[in-house]
Amino acid sequence: MSPALPILLVQLLQVVTIAAAAPGVSGVISRVEARLQGRTGPRVLQPYYDLGKLFRKEALAPIGSSWVFLAAPVAAITCYLTVPLLIPVLTTFGLPLGYMGDILGGGFILSLASFVVAVAALDTGSPYAQLGASRAKTFGAITEPVVLFVVFTVALVTGTDLPYALAATVRSSVGQIIRPAHLLAAAALFMVILYETGRIPVETHSGTNEFGMIEEARPFEHSGPYFALLTWGSAMKQLILFTILINVFVAPWGLAATPSLVSVLLAIAALIGKAALLGVVVAVIDNSFGKLRLFKITEFAAGAFLLAVLGVFTLYLGGG
Amino acid sequence: MSGIVAAPVLASTVLASTVAAPSALAGGASVVAVGVLLAEFGMLRQALLRDQVRLYAVQSALLSVLCIVVAATRHLPDVYALAALSFALKVVIVPVVLRRMLRGIGAIGGDPRWSDIAGSHALSVASAVLIAIAVAALGFFTVAALGLRSPVLPATALSISVAVILVAFVLMIVRRDVISQAIGFLSLENGVSLTALVVAAGLPLILEIAFLFDLLVVAVVFGLLIRVHHGRADSLSTAELTSLKG
Repeated sequence: MSPALPILLVQLLQVVTIAAAAPGVSGVISRVEARLQGRTGPRVLQPYYDLGKLFRKEALAPIGSSWVFLAAPVAAITCYLTVPLLIPVLTTFGLPLGYMGDILGGGFILSLASFVVAVAALDTGSPYAQLGASRAKTFGAITEPVVLFVVFTVALVTGTDLPYALAATVRSSVGQIIRPAHLLAAAALFMVILYETGRIPVETHSGTNEFGMIEEARPFEHSGPYFALLTWGSAMKQLILFTILINVFVAPWGLAATPSLVSVLLAIAALIGKAALLGVVVAVIDNSFGKLRLFKITEFAAGAFLLAVLGVFTLYLGGG
Repeated sequence: MSGIVAAPVLASTVLASTVAAPSALAGGASVVAVGVLLAEFGMLRQALLRDQVRLYAVQSALLSVLCIVVAATRHLPDVYALAALSFALKVVIVPVVLRRMLRGIGAIGGDPRWSDIAGSHALSVASAVLIAIAVAALGFFTVAALGLRSPVLPATALSISVAVILVAFVLMIVRRDVISQAIGFLSLENGVSLTALVVAAGLPLILEIAFLFDLLVVAVVFGLLIRVHHGRADSLSTAELTSLKG
């Protein structure tokens, strides 16, 4: 029997795992994407080197920008460091701080992060950053109903909106996995995640074409450590959303049932493995579809909305 | 530490008061039925003739799967025959006939495999989908209010079949090209078949066969009408049909 870790250490490890593994998951995705296109591609560890380089560089702020411009990256990364406390990253049982907020609470903190980045982009006065911020907010408003309906589905299935409860429900029987409401909600959430992480078919993730940019355009004016914080933050947001999809909806297995050292280490390895696997799926999607025109993104959102609404309908009819 | 031990207990007591999961079989059957409805929505937004016909074939294949589920659970050998026949006709023959008859019509860049019917929406695609969701919701909840129970398939399947029929109507109304209207009509028949399967799985086989061959006739007639319309108007749009001819 391996020694049991203090529960607060496990809580802290959730945050550390997300923060440390996030750039690696981005690295895996860009590596796989490059291999699928027949390129060698960057190393998996390249995002870490990029962050290290950016942290050593000097920071510049546009003339006329206020303190908001420099405070926003710090505020955003604080939000991203808070959310892993609320979701089942490593354990099947709720950790003490895990009941601070439900799924909606986590969603609000993620939107707060996106809001402060948008405000900072507006503060720069740069047209591209402003355009990105405005687009991100516009399309964010369209995908918000989808997230709400996914939460409704979770609430109807489990009677609560705690992510831990849904993960426990999914683990409980096969019937819970193949019920249409669960499959539809998971598919809708996956489409929202593609939007939120700026992937094809919504946005080219590493593109340099400003006309199609949404999320990527916002940190245009930031530099040095502040830009590093924003890049790291968006990698963390991606891993947080992946974790919610994996550990709450799709595959809540491999989590630690006790706070023992071995099972927590296994849970960390399992999470990174599952996130890398999901990253491969995202990379395949990136390579199999074209980017939608900006005005067709509403069609994509309407598709996700359809799935989420059907999930709630089938539940109401009793057959979900 | 006691708070940590209590947490999973809290979660499991909360779980007891929730919507119970259907059995694996009922859940699977509902998923296939939802797939039929999603295929219908797919046809509503699809921009290429080829893909629309393909979606129709997928929808019909899902319907055959449901037939097999019903046949296996209720031990009805003639429903197996129906599943096989409906698969052969709706998944293989009707799509092939349609593609044969529509070969080269409105082809993009002279390539006969691609026929463009994009942009025939009277509304934007997103609005069309939202309207179809509202109409499907109407079907869902009116049928649910009837309280019909089926011994073979979950009650969801009945609501979904009515939603399929209504969305097929929306498809025929919001799209202004003759091909979508034909596909809408054919998939409407899929919705009716699903309703028949839920309500009366033991419909006489001879009746079902008659329906299926009617469908083949419908496909041929629609193919001919589309060819004639395209020959006269040089377009697949139904906008040409509004003016009177002397």
